[in-house]
Amino acid sequence: MASLELKGVGKAYGRKRVLQDISLTFEPGLTLLVGPSGAGKSTLLRLIATAERPNKGSILWNGSGGRGALRKTLGYAPQAVDLPEDLTAREFAMHIAALKGLNLGQADKQFGAITDAIGLHADINNRIASFSGGMRRRLIFAQAMLGEPQLLALDEPTAELDGETARKLGALIVGRAKAGAIVVMTTHLADELAPSARAVLRVENGQVAPPVARAPESVT
Amino acid sequence: MNAAVISASSLTTSLLRYGRSRALWLMLLVAPLGARYMLPFEDGGGVRIAVGDALPVMTSPFLGVSLGIIVSTLVLPIAWLFLRSNTTRRQPWQVEEVTIGSRVAIALGRFGADALVLLGVLAALNVAGLYLATFMLRGDALNIAELSFAMWVVAGPAVIGVAALRILFDARPLLRSGFGDFGYFCTWMGSLIAPIVTSKSAPSFASNMHDFAGFVRPLTYGAPGPADDFSIGGGFLATGTINLDVMAGLMSPGYLESRLAWIGVALALVVVAGLIYAPHKAKKKAVLAGRLGALLNAGPPPRVVVNAPAAKRAMADAIGLVVSEFRLISSGRVFLILAAAVAVMSAFTDFRHAASPAALLLLLFALSAHAGRSEARGLVALTKVAPFAPMMRRVAFVIAGALWTTLLALPAAAPAVALDVLPLAAASGAIAATVAIVLSTLTGSSFAARLVLLVLWYGYASM
Repeated sequence: MASLELKGVGKAYGRKRVLQDISLTFEPGLTLLVGPSGAGKSTLLRLIATAERPNKGSILWNGSGGRGALRKTLGYAPQAVDLPEDLTAREFAMHIAALKGLNLGQADKQFGAITDAIGLHADINNRIASFSGGMRRRLIFAQAMLGEPQLLALDEPTAELDGETARKLGALIVGRAKAGAIVVMTTHLADELAPSARAVLRVENGQVAPPVARAPESVT
Repeated sequence: MNAAVISASSLTTSLLRYGRSRALWLMLLVAPLGARYMLPFEDGGGVRIAVGDALPVMTSPFLGVSLGIIVSTLVLPIAWLFLRSNTTRRQPWQVEEVTIGSRVAIALGRFGADALVLLGVLAALNVAGLYLATFMLRGDALNIAELSFAMWVVAGPAVIGVAALRILFDARPLLRSGFGDFGYFCTWMGSLIAPIVTSKSAPSFASNMHDFAGFVRPLTYGAPGPADDFSIGGGFLATGTINLDVMAGLMSPGYLESRLAWIGVALALVVVAGLIYAPHKAKKKAVLAGRLGALLNAGPPPRVVVNAPAAKRAMADAIGLVVSEFRLISSGRVFLILAAAVAVMSAFTDFRHAASPAALLLLLFALSAHAGRSEARGLVALTKVAPFAPMMRRVAFVIAGALWTTLLALPAAAPAVALDVLPLAAASGAIAATVAIVLSTLTGSSFAARLVLLVLWYGYASM
């Protein structure tokens, strides 16, 4: 069973301390990060996704501090990506699949299935330049789902989406969590996803409040 | 709204952005260091300027004019790169273009900032020139005024002109793209060739107006004998020395007037840029219909395999990475059509002097485009957390570049089993890809790679 552990993690940008002394253990299932803007949620996700290194403390994936093993099984959807406008969505996704070391033929089929489930399939051969904000958001989400990520770090994946599409994404996310992945995400739809979450963590002033109690059995 | 207020605001915000960018401070540091290499070394190294077959005796005005000429000829593409790929390349046009602010006023403000930054770099070069003069000039030959005057008269209008071209090329959608970089490259080449063609004409304001870089009169007018033959750079034989009266050239009929006129032309170009400014377009490509559309569009998406299983790791994932880079370099069917044409051409033409330059010209745009897009800062933030580190992707990119040039050279190698063309093809592709990825990594865009590759390509094609 996969495990992710943060031990005394702190992050500062210059003199500004964004996260302070965070110790947490994530187990398979969905964990929601909630809190006000600027509280440090996205920074925490970037640290988990190894996009940045903590100034203090360590992050252990299955008991090991090496980043290589974590990256082999990571799906990461940051809040904003400089998407290559002149590529089609499919070309971009296959680029990411190659960087993940995936079988490109299988990844192409999986990308088709994921985009079909979130209503993007009809546009995957169109250039990203023609995409709306919501379509870009779905593309960023779809690339994160490629392969079988055991750790999904999702930063507001449902922002800019209409309610129906957001629910479709939510279903895929919950499905991945049920399949045994550790899913950590920030979302403005916390109320809707909370019943399926293993834990809801409140991040405020760079610190994480004790988990809002959710019985593990709620993860069904 | 007051146009002066808009200009002042554009000027100050641009200067603030420049001031906060590391690249400016790097330029201010590199320029004085580079000054040493713009002047001839005693052992024959560095950039040399010869008149006829002789090297002019080093004097204060000749040292100044040497620095000025190197800037106004060889260094101008670097200034272009700096302006085009640096901090102010991104502007808030989505918001800006819906205001009532005068485009001319905005253009003038931004031009002012660009010009001031380049003139600041020139000032750093001037200081370095004075320092170097204390070593290179004998006795009391140092004349600060003449050295500085010579450098600024030659280089000042040239860098102001580049700043104006940057604003002009930012005014139209087509010129904002890679086509604009190609356009600048052609303009730069023209600025070097035009004065040489007219160098034999008598000195006058009109003849000097052909000399944007300002190097003809200072090198020819004050020579002791007839001198319409000169060399700038290196790799040529020079025998003996001559006493060149540089100040006479700078004060020759029509020269100073032409330099001032070039500054006027630059200002006029900026005003024109403001007048012809066309808003940015949302990048929504129209879907082409008919046969052309069928040829160029990617077509409908593939059939969905519902509940397709998750992709597994590939057996040879590194090869998959190279394949992916290979495909992305050739993104778009237009490239594939042109590549096929180049491959066919290589079977029937001289490989070194026709097919290979043609293949590289095609690839330099494709390589710089893909290198630029994959090194965009906001994308690297995502791709750097992939199992393949960015450096592995860059290596795969270089291999894919070499594969492309090799593939396009196969028809040239096949008929006579001329296998010697393949190493040349592979090496040229690998070098071009390396230049593209290194510059794109440093700048986070494709601008620098594209222009440098164009300059290198010109050298390769004309050798």
